[in-house]
Amino acid sequence: MTSSAWLKWLLLAAGLAVLAAMPWLVGEYPLNLIITMIIYSLFALSYNVLFGQAGLLSFGHAAYFGLGAYTSVLLFKDLGFSLLPGILGAGLAGGLLGVLLGLFVVRLGGTYFALLTLAFNALIYAGAEKWRGLTGGEDGVAAMRPDLHIPFYGDVGMFSTVHWYYFVLIVVLLSTWFCWHFTRTPLGRLNECLRENEDRARFIGYNVYMSKVAVNVISAFFAGLAGGMAGAFQEFVTVTFINLDKATDVLIMTFVGGSGTFWGPILGACFLTYLNQVLSDLTEHWTLIQGIIFVLLVMYAPQGLSGLLISLKDRFWGARAGKLNPAAKGEG
Amino acid sequence: MNILAELPVQALHGLVYGMLLFLVASGLTLIFGMMGVLNFAHGALYMLGAYFSYTILQLTGQFWLCLLVAPLVVALAGILIERFCLRKVHSYGHAHELLLTFGMAYIIEELVKIFWGNEPLRVVLPSLLAGSIPLLGIEYPVYRLFILGVSIVVFIIMFFVLYKTRAGIIVRASVANKRMVDALGFNVPLVFLVLFGMGAWLAGLAGVIGGPYLITNPAMASTIIIDLFVVVVVGGLGSIQGALIASLLIGQLQSIGILILPQFAIFFEFLLMALVLIFRPHGLMGESK
Repeated sequence: MTSSAWLKWLLLAAGLAVLAAMPWLVGEYPLNLIITMIIYSLFALSYNVLFGQAGLLSFGHAAYFGLGAYTSVLLFKDLGFSLLPGILGAGLAGGLLGVLLGLFVVRLGGTYFALLTLAFNALIYAGAEKWRGLTGGEDGVAAMRPDLHIPFYGDVGMFSTVHWYYFVLIVVLLSTWFCWHFTRTPLGRLNECLRENEDRARFIGYNVYMSKVAVNVISAFFAGLAGGMAGAFQEFVTVTFINLDKATDVLIMTFVGGSGTFWGPILGACFLTYLNQVLSDLTEHWTLIQGIIFVLLVMYAPQGLSGLLISLKDRFWGARAGKLNPAAKGEG
Repeated sequence: MNILAELPVQALHGLVYGMLLFLVASGLTLIFGMMGVLNFAHGALYMLGAYFSYTILQLTGQFWLCLLVAPLVVALAGILIERFCLRKVHSYGHAHELLLTFGMAYIIEELVKIFWGNEPLRVVLPSLLAGSIPLLGIEYPVYRLFILGVSIVVFIIMFFVLYKTRAGIIVRASVANKRMVDALGFNVPLVFLVLFGMGAWLAGLAGVIGGPYLITNPAMASTIIIDLFVVVVVGGLGSIQGALIASLLIGQLQSIGILILPQFAIFFEFLLMALVLIFRPHGLMGESK
């Protein structure tokens, strides 16, 4: 292994160690903030499977997230599910919706995709708002977070923030590993190829339509999983989980973090969730600041914060000549 | 009251909203057809029209002055966005342009909340427009007829300009084939700028006349943007006739839908969109490029 590969593994190990030790490092309140960051990291990561990797700009990812949140809370409340089946159910619900909507929305790319996802998100939102018997409309539904049932061991209480933190961390780490691994599978490679040159993929003989549907389902599954955990975390779900603001929040997080790298969306989700927390205590115009950051990045740093970091690193630690700089992609 | 008796009145309501929607959508679809940019900020510009109009009315008390000045200010805002922001990201591709206009919409909405507050604002109409007249067996608000009149007049002027003048020919030619127009020596960036300004002007005008009718509030933009996008999808991207047909259809679907199935009225337009997508993916009047 080269020294840079060693460095990467070392950084990864250190990062995992810090995450594992987090409950001893920070208090109860910051730990809650960190749980939010972790959940939104997964949401942004799932979004980037479409946006960064497939090149599909979606304005409707809240549909999957919100459906996941409703599913987990309703499974806990009405059917008495324990924690893990409820959260997995949320992911499956997201994935199913991903099949259903995917069949429509991926038919046309580019701007049409953006339009359609937005419109379908509005449709799902209207459904959640009108179906009061199930969703409680604007009042929402509440359900206590159930215990985690482990076979041959027993139940682990989730009332404690530390236990809940570890549960979320493990689910998100496994999902992150899967998403990272996915980029190396044939379908993951094809996904990036579709972004770069869809016609060529078609000429080679790939079924472009079904591949896009499959990718949409994977993305929707993880968005549903994130939503399910967000619902379980709040122990309450309402239409704000599924509205247009939620859909654009994840877009902004992913873009600000940088869609060109795998870890960019995680960076964006953590950065904006943290800023949101800090700035919303200081000023009520936090959303305006977020909008301005977003527009400035769109205009001057289209690869987001991770692109900025990479170009800074290259400037100070010197990129070897001829090495392709990912930050330069898309600027031509 | 039975449904049949209310039908003509509801159809008239739908016509008023449909025409208003068309005023906003026409600019959006022309800009899209020509520049390939789906202007997310279009709904926000429409909202700005309503708010500028409110402020001018507060200052001067002249509604007619609002009608004249507010759309021009909005057009200026649109031109500034095009010239200093949109043009900068043009080389990054359409997705970036869409993201930029989305960011602009976001910022405008927040600014509106800061300057004018979160509460809906009441616009006092001039006495000439405030009353109602007997029509179709009920007292119909004059103001809605005024909206209908203004939008029809603007529609006629727009068609005349687009189809009978040289400037209109250049615009239509640019929608059809931008490169060719460029090659023939026309200043395409300037055409873009003017068209963007005109689209913003139309949105602003729709905001001025729509504000008192649909209530001036900070959610105006996000409410209309869904309808706008459905219009653009159903009508076909870049088609002005398509936009007209789709706007009128959605107006009718909403108002008659409320009459027949009040709970589900909102789903009709999505159903329409889904049907169009299945059978004519490029919209009623759109061409597949």
